[in-house]
Amino acid sequence: MEKYLYIALFAPLVSSMFSALFTNTPKKQFVGIIASLLIFSAFVSSSILLTHILDGGDIVHVEMMTWMATGNLYIPFGFVVDQISVTMMMVVTLVSTIVHIYSIGYMDHDKGFNRFFAWLSAFVFSMMILVMSDNFAGLFIGWEGVGLCSWGLIGFWFHKEVATWAANEAFIMNRIADLGMLIGIFLVYWNTGSLQYDIAFPAMAHLDSATLTWMGIFLFIGAMGKSAQFPLHTWLADAMEGPTPVSALIHAATMVTAGVYLVIRSNELYDLIPHVGLFIASLGAFVALFAASMALVNRDMKRIIAYSTLSQLGYMFAAAGLGAYWVALFHLMAHAFFKALLFLGAGNVMHAMHDELDPFKMGGLKKVMKGTWIMMTIASLALAGIFPFAGFFSKDTILEAAFAEHHMVIYGVLLFTAGLTAFYSFRLVALIFHGEERYKIFGIHPHEAYKFMLIAMSPLLFLAMIAGIFQTPFFEMVEEILGATEYHIHSHATLLIMLVGTQMFVGLAILYAYKKYASWSSVPDGSSVIENSFIYKLLYNQYYIPYGYEEYIVKPYNELSAALWEVDKKVVDASVDGIASIFYSAGENTRDMQSGNLSTMLKWMVVGTVVLLSLAVVFGLAARYSGEIMSILSGLGV
Amino acid sequence: MLDHILSILIFFPALAGVMGFMIDKGSIRAYGVAVAFVEFALSLWLWFAFDSNVSGMQFMENIALIPSFGINYILGVDGISLFIIILAAFFTMIGIASLTETKNEKNMIITLLFLEMTMIGVFSALDAIVFYVFWELSLVPMLYIIGAWGGPMRIYASVKFFLYTFAGSLVMLVGMLFMAYFFYQATGTWSFAILDWYRLILPESFQLWLFAAFFVGFAIKVPMFPFHTWLPYAHGQAPTIGSVILAAILLKMGTYAFIRFSLPLFPDASVFFMYPIAVIAIIMIIYTAMVAYAQKDVKQVVAYSSVSHMGVIILGTFALNVEGITGSVFLMIAHGVVSGALFLLVGVIYDRRHTKLMSEFGGLAHVMPRYATIFGIMLMASVGMPLTINFVGEFLSLLGFYEQSHILTLLAGIAIVVGAIYMLTAYKKMFFGEVTKDENRNLPDVNKRELIALIPLAIITIWLGVYPKPVLEPINNSVEAVVQLMHNKSTTEEAKSRIPNVSGVVISKTSTREAH
Amino acid sequence: MEIGLNHYLILSTILFAIGLVGVMRRKNLLLLFFATEILLNSVNIAFAAISHYYGDLTGQMFAFFVIAIAASEIAVGLGLLIVWYKRHGNIDLESMTSMRG
Repeated sequence: MEKYLYIALFAPLVSSMFSALFTNTPKKQFVGIIASLLIFSAFVSSSILLTHILDGGDIVHVEMMTWMATGNLYIPFGFVVDQISVTMMMVVTLVSTIVHIYSIGYMDHDKGFNRFFAWLSAFVFSMMILVMSDNFAGLFIGWEGVGLCSWGLIGFWFHKEVATWAANEAFIMNRIADLGMLIGIFLVYWNTGSLQYDIAFPAMAHLDSATLTWMGIFLFIGAMGKSAQFPLHTWLADAMEGPTPVSALIHAATMVTAGVYLVIRSNELYDLIPHVGLFIASLGAFVALFAASMALVNRDMKRIIAYSTLSQLGYMFAAAGLGAYWVALFHLMAHAFFKALLFLGAGNVMHAMHDELDPFKMGGLKKVMKGTWIMMTIASLALAGIFPFAGFFSKDTILEAAFAEHHMVIYGVLLFTAGLTAFYSFRLVALIFHGEERYKIFGIHPHEAYKFMLIAMSPLLFLAMIAGIFQTPFFEMVEEILGATEYHIHSHATLLIMLVGTQMFVGLAILYAYKKYASWSSVPDGSSVIENSFIYKLLYNQYYIPYGYEEYIVKPYNELSAALWEVDKKVVDASVDGIASIFYSAGENTRDMQSGNLSTMLKWMVVGTVVLLSLAVVFGLAARYSGEIMSILSGLGV
Repeated sequence: MLDHILSILIFFPALAGVMGFMIDKGSIRAYGVAVAFVEFALSLWLWFAFDSNVSGMQFMENIALIPSFGINYILGVDGISLFIIILAAFFTMIGIASLTETKNEKNMIITLLFLEMTMIGVFSALDAIVFYVFWELSLVPMLYIIGAWGGPMRIYASVKFFLYTFAGSLVMLVGMLFMAYFFYQATGTWSFAILDWYRLILPESFQLWLFAAFFVGFAIKVPMFPFHTWLPYAHGQAPTIGSVILAAILLKMGTYAFIRFSLPLFPDASVFFMYPIAVIAIIMIIYTAMVAYAQKDVKQVVAYSSVSHMGVIILGTFALNVEGITGSVFLMIAHGVVSGALFLLVGVIYDRRHTKLMSEFGGLAHVMPRYATIFGIMLMASVGMPLTINFVGEFLSLLGFYEQSHILTLLAGIAIVVGAIYMLTAYKKMFFGEVTKDENRNLPDVNKRELIALIPLAIITIWLGVYPKPVLEPINNSVEAVVQLMHNKSTTEEAKSRIPNVSGVVISKTSTREAH
Repeated sequence: MEIGLNHYLILSTILFAIGLVGVMRRKNLLLLFFATEILLNSVNIAFAAISHYYGDLTGQMFAFFVIAIAASEIAVGLGLLIVWYKRHGNIDLESMTSMRG
């Protein structure tokens, strides 16, 4: 089994290095094909590992070599394939295989084609390290590695100012969170003596609650950055400047869920500190609502999907925070499928519309893009949680968990958000695919994407439809490691009412969205009443948070930096030069003594002699009468 | 030959430098490269022959100079100094090999060989006076390099560099003389040998004063805030090769000296001054990172980033535990490699455009993709990306200090945020966007001569980031010995508790009681 | 009134003071030499007197040394003075400022 572990881990690295060889050469089709094949081999290996684990096989645990060893610290490159990591590996390799194949078509005309695959495969490698590592330090390698690749891929079109800006924003914001993560790792090390999961987690049971709380908080800060939770969420929407396959893979399916993975992986820690868990769940529920509200009015297709991702991450955190780790992991998996599908569909639309992102400028595309239309509709149905699609099984379980744990506020918020989700998803679908063909005003001639791109997407479509049937086998698999409990509402009647009620609520939201937007005919120009209402402006400007960051953090930082530079020159350095110039000017001023006039110099000589003599006399007297002087001084109270 | 390998390492380049005066101008570069290569090969041989399981000094040499005052020519290396010596030989080699066309090339190469002598001398000296001699001698070649080949303000910059560091060193010399005097009082014999001094236990009040005296000399060299202002001038005016050597090796003298002198000689004082120094280190980290962000000249960005990283090294040193000190020694090497490479990279673009202002660039990734790639690797190493060399050092330094103070480590950890801010911003200004200036449209990418220097550095950056063990292990063994010595020597309760007792390593010690 | 040690010392001090004022005030190199002679001789007087007072001949020996040195100093000094006078036509101190710093 170790062989498959190594293939799954290193095939992406080989792929990345192979593609990197051609970075500076013109586009080579075979680079994309070989990269896809290598990633596919990682997927196959992961599948073999999955069947091994499903068959009740032992956890695969290897230690490749020492990384750092000093003092009592020992960090190896160790990798573990257990129920959690194998789930993540499946998600990562499956989605990335599809995205690789899709990208061959999507990046067809880009001159950075080879470079794109180098970065994309490097990302997969980092993500695999992240999920497979058996210690926190290895996790951190992957954690930073995905950050780096995300930087490279958001800023892939580096000639665009906005893209590079967004790349730097994402990197720096993640760095802030990584600091928290790093502190969390230090806490783990100094309190448990190890960073290995299998040593550190059992040791935590013996620690006092305050330490554990800090540990949990700092690790969660790390998770907040990667998973773009409030208040570190602004980078995710801006990250949509990257190529769309990147958004699908990194900013929807895999990297952003790393935070959720961390919380699930640390379930033994968070089980010990339920109050931190409750905070996580509350923040998750808040973010779910908060992000969904911003998606309601946005006019950028990719940003809408990004906010929806953010909102779904909130769901996952809500579940994980309430201790329903397996539900969170299941939703993570299901979400990866339908959200990647949604993004790839959006990529098709973008291609067809020549990179136009405003859905109000589209409309009626279902005639020319039938395949994409069907896929995006089904992905949206899955996202909205309509039976029998994937989202129904994962999201409803989260709601049930919240209900069963008697956190009614969280339940209420999540339920309401489910309605919003359905509304904004179908607002998007309706605006893009239904109604009048508004794009004709702009002289665009849309066309469907390459056939092989649609075929590549079809496994995701399939999984978005049927992932629900995996719920029971999945539960049985992770039960052992996540200490899972099934959430049963006590009475059948309550459960039925809840299910039907939720479905009806969501269904009504979808209908409302269709009714309102399916026959939209004009491109809004900012003059309508609703566009000038306060709420609309607030949501459209993302609660003015990016503006606030720009105004109250970035600008003061710039100004403070400039001021500190002035301080450096005009205070610190000037005082050094000042001290030097004291000596210099002392010399300048006293050089007149050296007038060359013998008479003057003789006078100075006499002065010097007199001064020295008198000093000698004074010190001689002081030494002789030291006792008396001391008594006089002490008499004066000195 | 192994018995005298350190002397050979020190004096071979100097002798070769003297011989260099007789070499024809046309062949001086080949001569210089050959000498530096032999020297580097010798240093590698030193590593090969080095027994990494021994924590103490190896390849010791001892020749009496002034026996009546206990001044002897004592050399030796341990895991702490070994890699800095190799690094010095390495950087001299690639520095000469990648030297761009300069006037008076012969003088430059001979100066570099002399500089190499002084650098290796500092790191292998085990006698305070010999150490001091090399320490001060190293100023002269650097003064010459900045003063003769520097930019428009070279005289100001070089004189400032010389006088500032020289003034600090004098205070250190006074400290050394006092230390020898105390040793004489305690034992009745004069000695300037550092290993003898290690056995002397001083009362805390003496330690505080002596620590302060040594601190002035070391802090200016590092340079620590607020003594850092000579550095931007020196870097700003120095030619590329000067900046490379200055950042990669000369700055490390200060931090190395902290570990060689301050910690083992004055353990109680080290504990006493730990918090103030940590606060200074944090100011260094954050303040200079912000100043670096405000710079318009890319070389100044790298210069200030050096100061910022040196702050992390200082912090790791004053963690006073094995993890932290090992991390700081490793970070010295890491920072040497990375900042040296960054200065070389700045030199590459300066040779093409004769400007270092970032506003003059933009979109360079289009015209110089290989340059952008190598710069990107070094950028990521500089911001401490895992699996690059810097991360190992920074991680261990911060991890080590976390044991001493949580809050201060949290503040110091801001390094990874502010470091990313100034580095990424500088990279974006230089490489991203469209090419706006016509002069930049046809810039040639890095050529072979530059690659000779940059490729090995990139390889080391990744290799030691992925597999630091060959370097980390010898460092760790020697650091354990230092920490154990400090624990044994410390007298105050607080110091005993702050400095861990590394079990398994026992150092024979002579207490003052015995010395009397 | 008997003449004792104090009288000699007072005389010596007065002579020393006169010599010192001369050294400081004179602008003529020749007169400066005179003043120096007065200084030296005041010391000689003190040496001789104290030597006599203690009955120790060392002081008188020193006085002889001083006389010898003063003589050689004058010999060299006058030689230089004459050379200077031949070159510049005066021996005014104000004109001798080539050692100005």
